[in-house]
Amino acid sequence: MASVVIMPKQGQSVESCILTEFKKNKGDKVAVGDILFAYETDKASFEEESKVEGTVLAVLYNEGDEIPVLANVMIIGQEGENIDDLLGGAQPAAEAPAAAAAPAPAEKPVAAPEITVHQSAPAAPAVEGKRAISPRAKALAEKLNINLAYVTATGPEGRIIERDIEAAAASGARQTPLAAKVAAETGATAPAAGSGLAGMARACDLGKAAPAAAPAAKGKDVLESGEDFEVRKLTNIRKVIAKSMYASLQNSAQLTHHLSADARRIQALRKQAKKLLEEGKLDVNITLNDFICLAVIRALKKFPNVNTHFLGDSIKYYNKVHLGLAVDTERGLMVPCVKNADDLSIVGLSRQLKAVADACKKGSINPDILSPEAATFTVSNLGNYGVEVFTPIINLPQSAILGVNTIVPRPKDLGGGVYAFVPHIGLSLTYDHRSIDGGEATRFLKQIATELETLEVVFE
Amino acid sequence: MPKSQFADPDFLRKAGEVKIAPIPVNQYNKTIKDELKEKHFTKDDLKHIYRDMFTIREFETMLNLVKTTGGYNGVEYNNPGPAHLSMGQEAAAVGMAYNLTTDDFIFGSHRSHGEILAKGLRSIEILSDKELTKIMEEFWGGKTLEVAKNGFKGGSVKDLGMHFLLYGAMAEIFARTTGFNKGLGGSMHTFFTPFGIYPNNAIVGGSGSIAVGAALYKKVNRKKGIVVANLGDGALGRGPVMEGMTFASMDQFTQLWEGDMKGGLPILFSIMDNQYAMGGQTRGETEGYNFAARIGAGFNPDSMHAERVDGYNPLAVIDGFRRKMALLAEKKGPALLDIVTYRYAGHSPSDSSTYRTPEEIKAWEAIDCIKCFGEKLVEAGVATEKELEEIQAKQKSIIFEMYKLAIDLEVSPRMDLVKESELLGDMMFSNGSVDSMSDAKPEVNMPLEENPRVKQLATKERFAFDENGKPFSAIKTFGIKDALFEAIVDRFYKDASLVAYGEENRDWGGAFAVYRGLTEALPYHRLFNSPISEAAIIGTAIGYAMCGGRVIPEIMYCDFLGCCGDEVFNQLPKWQAMSGNILKMPVVVRVSVGSKYGAQHSQDWTSLCTHIPGLKVVFPATPYDAKGLMNSALQGTDPVIFFESQRIYGQGEEFHKGGVPKEYYEIPIGEPDVKKEGKDVTILSIGATLYRAMKAAKLFEEKGISAEVIDARSLVPFNYDKVIESVKKTGKIIIAADASARGSFLNDLAANIASFCFDYLDAAPVVLGSRNWITPCHELEEAFFPQPSWFVDAYHERIAPIAGYTPTANLTNAELQTRAKKGI
Repeated sequence: MASVVIMPKQGQSVESCILTEFKKNKGDKVAVGDILFAYETDKASFEEESKVEGTVLAVLYNEGDEIPVLANVMIIGQEGENIDDLLGGAQPAAEAPAAAAAPAPAEKPVAAPEITVHQSAPAAPAVEGKRAISPRAKALAEKLNINLAYVTATGPEGRIIERDIEAAAASGARQTPLAAKVAAETGATAPAAGSGLAGMARACDLGKAAPAAAPAAKGKDVLESGEDFEVRKLTNIRKVIAKSMYASLQNSAQLTHHLSADARRIQALRKQAKKLLEEGKLDVNITLNDFICLAVIRALKKFPNVNTHFLGDSIKYYNKVHLGLAVDTERGLMVPCVKNADDLSIVGLSRQLKAVADACKKGSINPDILSPEAATFTVSNLGNYGVEVFTPIINLPQSAILGVNTIVPRPKDLGGGVYAFVPHIGLSLTYDHRSIDGGEATRFLKQIATELETLEVVFE
Repeated sequence: MPKSQFADPDFLRKAGEVKIAPIPVNQYNKTIKDELKEKHFTKDDLKHIYRDMFTIREFETMLNLVKTTGGYNGVEYNNPGPAHLSMGQEAAAVGMAYNLTTDDFIFGSHRSHGEILAKGLRSIEILSDKELTKIMEEFWGGKTLEVAKNGFKGGSVKDLGMHFLLYGAMAEIFARTTGFNKGLGGSMHTFFTPFGIYPNNAIVGGSGSIAVGAALYKKVNRKKGIVVANLGDGALGRGPVMEGMTFASMDQFTQLWEGDMKGGLPILFSIMDNQYAMGGQTRGETEGYNFAARIGAGFNPDSMHAERVDGYNPLAVIDGFRRKMALLAEKKGPALLDIVTYRYAGHSPSDSSTYRTPEEIKAWEAIDCIKCFGEKLVEAGVATEKELEEIQAKQKSIIFEMYKLAIDLEVSPRMDLVKESELLGDMMFSNGSVDSMSDAKPEVNMPLEENPRVKQLATKERFAFDENGKPFSAIKTFGIKDALFEAIVDRFYKDASLVAYGEENRDWGGAFAVYRGLTEALPYHRLFNSPISEAAIIGTAIGYAMCGGRVIPEIMYCDFLGCCGDEVFNQLPKWQAMSGNILKMPVVVRVSVGSKYGAQHSQDWTSLCTHIPGLKVVFPATPYDAKGLMNSALQGTDPVIFFESQRIYGQGEEFHKGGVPKEYYEIPIGEPDVKKEGKDVTILSIGATLYRAMKAAKLFEEKGISAEVIDARSLVPFNYDKVIESVKKTGKIIIAADASARGSFLNDLAANIASFCFDYLDAAPVVLGSRNWITPCHELEEAFFPQPSWFVDAYHERIAPIAGYTPTANLTNAELQTRAKKGI
């Protein structure tokens, strides 16, 4: 079996060696220890000894070739031996030295993808006369809308520094952002004092001399920089509403179901009550909302799971219904509560609801009954305003809230193939799914509808 | 300079001659039969010696083939790392390891594969199965063992141990996480402490002082075992090796150390004398000793018990070690063996051996230590040729199996620094917090409260000013030197392993009186004077710490850092990470920065230390900070270069309200401190420059400019938060220190601040360092070190001109450019 002599690897950094001299050529007999060839790296020269005995059957390179390390250089075997396998496609030197001598591609670590830097046109070529400014001064100038043309540089080597911008601001070298933009685009210069606030140069001042006396701007033809708004501190009630509404949406799993109830029964009751009022038989104006509240109270008595507070790791079940009512006041939304509302007749309920709503509007309400913990359930009625559907936000820790919508006529199957438009009142129940499941919420909402459609009251 | 030793002029001037006892050369002449008769070995012992030598040869043959042919047994692998092989030296390595237990530590060189394998194989042989199993299972949580087991085809625990050792060493050489040091050490630094194999060292002679420190650790902490420093003959040309030998030979061990501490260090310098120092021939060309053993005569009257032994006969080496170890057990160390050997391999695979003839190599191959030993075994009837062949086949098979596993990226992965980019970063420091590195009771001479210095400090004023703002007199003021003493003495009473040494540390109390009172407090072995051998001072401290102790070496002048450059820059910072975090390095190097003493004693070289990854660098400037930072440094487990300024050793505490607390407290390393608040310009100062910065702040105030002064306190690590906060406020910063400006850490700070605070800056950060000159004599120093007026000058010239101000120093950009052009 013939053996292959490779170009030894003399050190890690060596990728190829130059074969300086063949000491044995094709056909020569070699013994173990005979020098086969000499070669060199850039650092040192070496001789390769034969490790086998035999005849040189092939020489794969020429003297002077640069040979990749570990490449086959010579084949030694017995005369007449077939060495085609070992040649492996490589041609003996005489035939194709040039190709064989090409150094193997050096092993290279995989390079990180090259990052191409796009040389876009320089934003601002450093032209002669461009003013040097410190980053801090530049940031301040932009913040204060200072026209740099009127800033006196006092920094080293003529650099504009922070104090120069401060000085310019004090002396009024300000311009509006639009003026700055137009000036930059057109090259127009702004006067040292413009027609804007406190002498701020406006776009319309560009190219003009400073006005003799800067008059207050009259027209609003150009949007001025500065404040087209005003910032007002929140009132306390706004803060409370903001906090509790936001907290409600952040901290509960609320969703809303909508359905509508036949409103003919409560409309009829309302008509009766109105008549009694006109006849002087009632001293309180019982509104549609009062009847709705009554229906809600009755439904709640049948659904104790809704008349609850959800407390995170427990649920508080109330025996009585304390009904909250959303009241729109000038100062903002308020939700007073009628305690023990389930003890009241329609007349009592109407009276008390009116009383707490009036107290809210006057601002004389007892804060205790405004607390979300005071009520067990809340009704928010936007029907008067024509709202057709909405998603009220629960007054935590209560488990649900009912939104009451406007009455709209809806087609209804009256039986016997007869359809008619029947007034329907929309009901939107938002509930906390942590506390109540969808089935129960739906049944409760349906119960309100049923109560509304079948409401019985005694006006006394 | 103990008073007990009288430098007697009569004796010193008397005529006479120095007698040096003959140094034995290759005296061993026993046969295997003699040795068997004397029961020094069993037949199995002798076969194991053969086995171990063969294992090393095959292991290195494998590495050589991988390097030169790109594979082993037809399995390809490319190993880009170094391979300094020792083929031919196996008898020296195995003979060296034979008498050692795991309590005996070896330290090696760049050419130490043979030594670690020999020591590892010997440890496996002498450990009980239970001990060996525990070591293997606990190492890297069993990960290394798990892989080695994949190639284990059954056999004894010791067989498994052999797989484990060979795999762990290969995986380390091939940079795999399952290697003995997670692949972070590599070929030239492979080691395995559970077998008593301590670091090899790629710096020639690096172990010459480190191993001495390990011996010091064993002595001071009463640990079993000896320490062997395996050095090449080339290492005898290295100053640090001479320094290590000087340190190891100090008279004080026998003349001044007391009680059971009296006696020499248990250190054996083992010179693997393979004739060549890379390409230089030591005997006849690059050295003049003729016999390496001769150098022993230069170090002590015992000539270090030096002896040459035949490193081509393992039994001669074993005999030599046995006799030297007996001397060490009698506290007669140090000892030195010159082990004659020869490497067939080149220095590295790219060495074409142009410096020697083929005849020379052949002459040694003819007496090859493995071949000849095998023949002698057969001749003596210890083993048959067939048995030897079986040993060879078995060892080859294990090496091949372990090779295949070690190159397999699946089971032997490399650290993935792309996915886990901070893995190595997180290994640079151990960031430990340890009260004491020892369980022993600290040995002290007296209760702390009886110490004269402690008593004296009780009467001192711990804040610089009285209630009227008047400074106390210098003698009454509790200064930085006192603060340092308080932290250090406290640790001496807490940590029995703590030792401190350096030049003039005992009796004198340190050149700057930091240690005054420590001599009274501590026995010799905890505080002593070293020779003026900075390389040995730091080198031994490294060895002391890596064995488990805590140590405070002192470099008396910062300028002497150059004398221990390798130890401070190349050894101290590296070993925690290079060991894969197995080693800890609780070394607090106290370095005193001078002034007044001219060009070679007044330089601030902090920047040299900040440049080297792996060192923590602090430079406190107040007593409060000095005590707090010293406490932190001594509580930690990382190397800390602790700079102190000779300008301010007596400086009282001017900043910390209530003065310097008497109690223990720590100031975390890395946190700068705002020493004075201001709003117009920030000054960031390092070290004693703080006080000139404070004077500059006064000058600024006079001009209506309010300066904020921040004391860096630490340089590495450094938390920029407070500086950024300040620059956001002021928009301007001057960064000042006494280091020569060019190439200093000041520029690092400036570049980072410019980047971190770019949008807030009103001018480029100004670097205010010393001139790039020699430090002139004291009388001219004001032209060299930053002066208070320079701050204002620089502000005027480079930050914001001050109306009507006339600067005295030219610190303009134009001037700096001119100086740069001239290189000054």
